[in-house]
Amino acid sequence: MPEPAIARETSPTQALFRIHIRGSLQEVWDEITRTDDVIPCFFNMRMHAERLQKGARLQMRTKSEKYVGVVGEVLEWDPPRRFAHTFRFTQMDDPPCKVSYELVEKDDGVEFTLRISELTPGTKSAKQMVQGAVMILNTLKAVIETGRPSLGTRALFVLFALLEPLTPRRCRTENWSSN
Amino acid sequence: MKPDAMDAVFAALASRERRQMLDLVLAHPGCGVNQVAAHFAMSRVGVLKHLRLLEEAGLVLSEKVGRVRRLYFNAVPIQQIHARWSDRYGALFANHMVAIQERVESRNRQRKTNRA
Repeated sequence: MPEPAIARETSPTQALFRIHIRGSLQEVWDEITRTDDVIPCFFNMRMHAERLQKGARLQMRTKSEKYVGVVGEVLEWDPPRRFAHTFRFTQMDDPPCKVSYELVEKDDGVEFTLRISELTPGTKSAKQMVQGAVMILNTLKAVIETGRPSLGTRALFVLFALLEPLTPRRCRTENWSSN
Repeated sequence: MKPDAMDAVFAALASRERRQMLDLVLAHPGCGVNQVAAHFAMSRVGVLKHLRLLEEAGLVLSEKVGRVRRLYFNAVPIQQIHARWSDRYGALFANHMVAIQERVESRNRQRKTNRA
């Protein structure tokens, strides 16, 4: 099926992703802001924060809490409709980007928009952020609508757990205690 | 994904022009309608009609920034369609993963027993 391909801009500074979820606003909000357990849609990581509110520092830790994958600061906190925070991978030295989650009631469900902005062109972080977005949305939808992630995603979580000991030492939680 | 939503995606993709527009939006996130229209030998109104179909199918997201409507590619509907027909491979993958987990854990248990 040869069709002329258009050269792709590999380093966008902003990306948008949207999905419709059959569930309530509160269910979706609670799922993306929970701190009492792992969050499947965030790659089965655990959100750690003293108290989620504007200005709070947050971390995404592995299930065992031995490693910190992401650090950030809450920029917007407007329950149950809008949550935005800075986002930086601890494995990389790239500058942080901004992630926002926007929830709107629509068609007996929730229209969920994930906006990734202030991406630094050409960085590995920018590439990974855009690549991971679809999985975040699909997993969130599956968890709200069926109670758990898809089989393929659950298999990935098993793989993540197996590979956890290979995480670089710089990501160990004790190295990020001040964040 | 609801049947109507899936119909909308397939209908939107069943046009060469719309696929090319999608390529453009994917290649240039945040581009404007004029930027897309410049690549086609059709009126701006014609381009807008095509873009509306892509937007209704959820393949293109737009937001107004000042006086310009910025367009973004949304990969979610295509991924959902892909997942519908690829889950059986997901299951196969899952079985392999579980088998690896069992082997590694069994080996670790064996090592601990030998050390003791």
